[in-house]
Amino acid sequence: MQFELNYRPSHSLATAHLEPGETLRAEASAMVSMTRNLEVHTSFRGRPGAGFMQSLKRGFLGGESFFTNTFTAVSGKGHVSLAPKLCGDMVVHELTSSHELFIQGSGYVAAPDSVELDTRWQGFKGFLSGESLFFLRALGQGPVLINALGALETIDLDGELILDTGHLVAFTTGLEYEITKASAGWIDSFLSGEGFVLRIWGRGRLYVQSRNPAEYGKTLGHKLPARQQ
Amino acid sequence: MKYEIEGSPDYGLLRVTLEAPGEQVVAESGAMVAMDSQVEIQTSARGGFLSAAKRKILGGESIFQNTFIAKAAGQNVWLAPAPEGDLRAIELARGETFFLQSGAYVAHLGADLKLDTKWAGVKGFFSGVGLFLLKVEGPGTVFFGGYGALHPVAVGPEGYTADTGHIVAFSAGLDYSLRSFGGMKGLFLSGEGLIADFGGHGTIYLQTRDPRLLADFLHPFRPVSSSD
Repeated sequence: MQFELNYRPSHSLATAHLEPGETLRAEASAMVSMTRNLEVHTSFRGRPGAGFMQSLKRGFLGGESFFTNTFTAVSGKGHVSLAPKLCGDMVVHELTSSHELFIQGSGYVAAPDSVELDTRWQGFKGFLSGESLFFLRALGQGPVLINALGALETIDLDGELILDTGHLVAFTTGLEYEITKASAGWIDSFLSGEGFVLRIWGRGRLYVQSRNPAEYGKTLGHKLPARQQ
Repeated sequence: MKYEIEGSPDYGLLRVTLEAPGEQVVAESGAMVAMDSQVEIQTSARGGFLSAAKRKILGGESIFQNTFIAKAAGQNVWLAPAPEGDLRAIELARGETFFLQSGAYVAHLGADLKLDTKWAGVKGFFSGVGLFLLKVEGPGTVFFGGYGALHPVAVGPEGYTADTGHIVAFSAGLDYSLRSFGGMKGLFLSGEGLIADFGGHGTIYLQTRDPRLLADFLHPFRPVSSSD
């Protein structure tokens, strides 16, 4: 399976070219267009332990889809074109058996079925930062399509980095992380507007988005008329 | 009369140069960015008020359109679509038709160009998706915009399928049928989940972002009404 990327970085469009028999899994809202020789299945991607309504609510608030569409080329070659919800870039991470990729909830777009997605909660269960730090764990082999709000920076880290939680898109195994406060004191951390940050260290690859979805949503959403509860 | 499109694909901007006095360009209300000083604007409900009202109600176009008329030689008018994204021109021969999704129309050249709203069918109507189409018939040049890049797809005998939220325009010679897609997807994402299966022969223009998904993203960030 090959991904072709066009119109980068602001309004990127990815086209997944499928060989006969190949299968692609994509977020439900990501499909833009496709050839007519594909068989499509929709499945609900709940989280273990989370009820349907709970997953639904989290999905709405976290900007994640909970439906996955599966596209299989049943007769001859085919393609599916894909786009994320918001403006920004997409890149393909080549996953191999030597490492895994942790993708922040709304950063994932699509991957072939040779890549397994584990939707367990990772890390910060019940954390009070207000930002959901939910990661999909991708393992297996094949290209994984990820997206960013804004530009996508690739950082090959060998050392340590402090990163705003809202700017993290994905990172590979080999990196470890902890959540920490941005400044020395809790009050300074709060006042700085940086709140909680990630301290990431080790050796591996890191994908960072140039805009923070929560800040973007607040900036625009607060200017909209009030909604009912 | 000549034109140039700059800033593609992210922020398409159209410059029309009216080379001789009396030459004109017609544009959607609100599309003007700037113009030279020897240009007169006439505002009209093009095609008569009822026809314009039909376009407004069914096609999402403004009732009023502005005609920019040069009073001197070499006058420029700069025009832009509302969303961030690309702008394209299609030159139509006499009798040649082209379909635009509601809201995609930006401007046109040619006094004989016809604009009419076409009902897209029962399914489009009841779904609330607004698959009303503006039918454009040549001769003339029509300019249209979209949210994101405008991605052309040539459709041949094997057909093609596209999400209705991404369809901006398509050429005559294509026919389509609508169906729901992605199972329960349509239940939760505001009117989403309708796709169009195209047959025939022609070109579809897709916008690489769907404005409804931006609206869905922003919805939870809206302030919550405290009354009732």
